[in-house]
Amino acid sequence: MSLKGKLALVTGSGRGIGRATALKLASQGADIVVNFFRRREAAEQTAKDIESLGVKAELIRANVGDPAKINEMFDVIENRFGHLDILVNNAASGVGRTVMDIDVKAWDWTMGINARAPLLCAQRAAKLMKGRHGKIVNISSLGSLFVLPTYAVVGVSKAALEALTRYLAIELTPQDICVNAVAASAVETEALKFYIKEGLIKDNRQATPAGRMIAPDDVARVVAFLCSEEAFMIRGQTIIVDGGTSIAPFIAAKEAQ
Amino acid sequence: MSIEEQIKEIVAKIVHVDKNLMTKESTFKDIKADSLDMVQALVAVEDKFDIEILDEEAQKFQTFGDFVDYVEKRLAEKEKA
Repeated sequence: MSLKGKLALVTGSGRGIGRATALKLASQGADIVVNFFRRREAAEQTAKDIESLGVKAELIRANVGDPAKINEMFDVIENRFGHLDILVNNAASGVGRTVMDIDVKAWDWTMGINARAPLLCAQRAAKLMKGRHGKIVNISSLGSLFVLPTYAVVGVSKAALEALTRYLAIELTPQDICVNAVAASAVETEALKFYIKEGLIKDNRQATPAGRMIAPDDVARVVAFLCSEEAFMIRGQTIIVDGGTSIAPFIAAKEAQ
Repeated sequence: MSIEEQIKEIVAKIVHVDKNLMTKESTFKDIKADSLDMVQALVAVEDKFDIEILDEEAQKFQTFGDFVDYVEKRLAEKEKA
């Protein structure tokens, strides 16, 4: 699967799943736009690692929760490259609250970054993908289907993202753009360490039926597949990457004891 | 407008508090700023002054004054660089 000569934007690619995805696409030959927001050093490291694979990396700082910043980011891409082949909507945020504690601010913040930003990015990206067989992959999470403690607003935002994936997939077919999503359960990232520390997620990394914890690269490989022509007939789907956890909850629970 | 005044305006707007009631000694608890308010304030201040505020440092802020002092320090470092 070669992505040589393609240009990919991966939002939130300084760390975690975004970084792994950026590096995976780069390893297949794509030039990468590394979008980051708050951790410049991490993003600079990602860019350096991408360049060491022999492709180009362009760093753009933008808070995707702010529509004006999304437009600025795409203006830079449009002026500098004039096109885009791949968009991975990975950047995410969230506020850990139970449903009774979610206020308007927490709702708007989370939905703005996790659901609205992928829409706005897709709208701008689609125009830059004209005639290029574009691919869009949205990064979701199992919180869209399952209830996790204090994950309500994030879970709802991810459910919205998965529904958006289906609409984009159908409505962007005339532009020859493939749109899909990847939903992972707990992936070994800094975000997970935070959730475990806060007691929001149990440290059940041994309980995955597949026998080990999900690594960012496990998600990145599926994203790369969805960005390839091999996945041409997969449209609007959310591929679950969880080592079997979601279909074997009782086995997972037993192993965790 | 001083840096302190500019940050005060940003924080007051996010937390919906009267900026005249804020002093450098005000704690974030005093002005009823929750963790999301803090993140939004950090982000707004980063954008305004084109600096980066490390999360590890931000977690140590007890008072509004701690925040202002840190931003002033970062701005001075930026000027030197």
